Amino acid sequence: MINLRDKGADLWEGWNRPKRITFVFALLVVISLLPFAGNFSFSSFLNTPSASYQDVLVYPIGMFILMALGLNIVVGKSGLLDLGYVAFFAIGAYTDAILTTKTHLNTWQVMPIGIALAMLSGVLLGLPTLRLRGDYLAIVTLGFGEIVRIVILNSSITGGTNGVASIPNPPSVLGQKLDLNHSVNFFWIVLVMILLVIWMIRRFTVRRPGRAWEAIRQDEDVAILMGVPILRYKIWSFSIGAAIGGAAGVIFAAKVLVIAPDMFTFNVSVLILSCVVFGGMGNIWGVVFGATMLAYVPQRIRFITNARELVFGLVLIIVMNLRPDGILPRKKREKLSARKEKSA
Amino acid sequence: MSEKLIELNNVTMQFGGVRALDEVNLHVNKGEICALIGPNGAGKTTIFNVITGVYQLTSGSISFQGSDLKGLKRNIITKRGIARTFQNVRLFGDMTALENVITASDVHKKSGLLGALFGTPRSRREERESKARAHELLEFLGIDHRADQLGKNLPYGDQRRLEIARALGTEPKLLLLDEPAAGFNPAEKKALAETILKIRDRGYTVLLIEHDMSLIMGISDRVIVLDFGQKIADDLPRNVQNDPKVIAAYLGVPADAS
Repeated sequence: MINLRDKGADLWEGWNRPKRITFVFALLVVISLLPFAGNFSFSSFLNTPSASYQDVLVYPIGMFILMALGLNIVVGKSGLLDLGYVAFFAIGAYTDAILTTKTHLNTWQVMPIGIALAMLSGVLLGLPTLRLRGDYLAIVTLGFGEIVRIVILNSSITGGTNGVASIPNPPSVLGQKLDLNHSVNFFWIVLVMILLVIWMIRRFTVRRPGRAWEAIRQDEDVAILMGVPILRYKIWSFSIGAAIGGAAGVIFAAKVLVIAPDMFTFNVSVLILSCVVFGGMGNIWGVVFGATMLAYVPQRIRFITNARELVFGLVLIIVMNLRPDGILPRKKREKLSARKEKSA
Repeated sequence: MSEKLIELNNVTMQFGGVRALDEVNLHVNKGEICALIGPNGAGKTTIFNVITGVYQLTSGSISFQGSDLKGLKRNIITKRGIARTFQNVRLFGDMTALENVITASDVHKKSGLLGALFGTPRSRREERESKARAHELLEFLGIDHRADQLGKNLPYGDQRRLEIARALGTEPKLLLLDEPAAGFNPAEKKALAETILKIRDRGYTVLLIEHDMSLIMGISDRVIVLDFGQKIADDLPRNVQNDPKVIAAYLGVPADAS
């Protein structure tokens, strides 16, 4: 199997700065014009039948990428298996739904509150449970996801099974309206959020927090003996992941206008985890690609109606068999210089 | 007499019915190379594990630079100045050699998450300094040409050297080496002996577990012998060599001696 990741990285390493900047800029332009791809004949194959293509770009694609990036910090970078990630998404969504309908706060004012609440719940969940490892942690987080959903289902403030309706859209940004008729603006907002998250993860990765997470993932016992405060960094990992999930939830609620508990089931946690595993755990670009595929493909093949889930499942199984480490695996490479030295 | 860096007082470590350490008293002086020897299962690695906080003592106490280590977390003990290597190499295999050392040197960094995110001057300075220091340590161990290679891809000998570099990365006052020469050929052992002497000359104190007698006799200032969890000798290398109790522990007692 060709090593896409290494090929890409080698190409990138061979480029000089202006070349890199041009490439990133061109890529950004292409991506930000994606919402219009459905209008032109040469790119109309991207269109999603029986769903608005521009909506699909925001949810599920954009949301999945955001959440997968957040979960990737927890599962991919620090090796903590979290099966209840949807809880943070739900907390963000319900924070926005409740606060914007019951108070005068708008979506942007609620955003920091939603992020803070998601983070706080991440810390509260993490403090007692992050001493557990592997399977045990997975079970506790799975339970947490269910607890959050069931609490939402049974509280009056969250509207129980009916959920919360008529959530206001966010106020305009730079004069651009954000409502049902302007999905493309939502797409750009989500794109900016994704870029911010990627920037943040890259910053962390090359510095102390990234090293600490990496050490914890590889050998927790040695990590602590080398002085890594593992509990602190695990909680950071958890709560940063939670914050991203919460932010995605806030935007989600403001976009879809009606939310209900059945949007936040265990299935979502599994699907997001699949995005991470499918794309390549620990690799930002792999995760982005995985989330895009897993969000897009089911929408694209909607025309096969009944067999849709079956086909989707088969595709997943086949791909994971061919590439067990994901499409773009982490497989950290040595820099070109190091490999040259070895072959010399 | 020279100053005691670490002192174990009546240390007992019990695992169920097994007494891995039985009322052990020992100390390591500042600036010396002290060797810990004994037959398999004597409790040598257990000593390392109780010092670094992996096991909680059944009874007794350990004082390091005059303060008790009881109840301290493992990472805090490292921060206080005790670092170790492992009998079976346990590197961070998916990190480069350089990153392995920098990860260890992170223990004394003050900048954390926000510093990393916003690239504060302190965080940038610390990153720069630790990188330079890590290169310097790799150079010291003679493996700086491996800096950008992954830990798991290094040859075995370099992995062992990298373990020492990583331990030194935490800027320890006491360096614990667990069988650093295991699997080395005579030439490599000789080079290792020189390295350990150089480490001592840099001001570190070394406590090492080793089975290779010529290595130990060549470099140690003092040798402590354990057998079945008890200390049976603690003396200069040449005296230990002739100690009948030590010889008995290693070779067994002749049948007619009793």
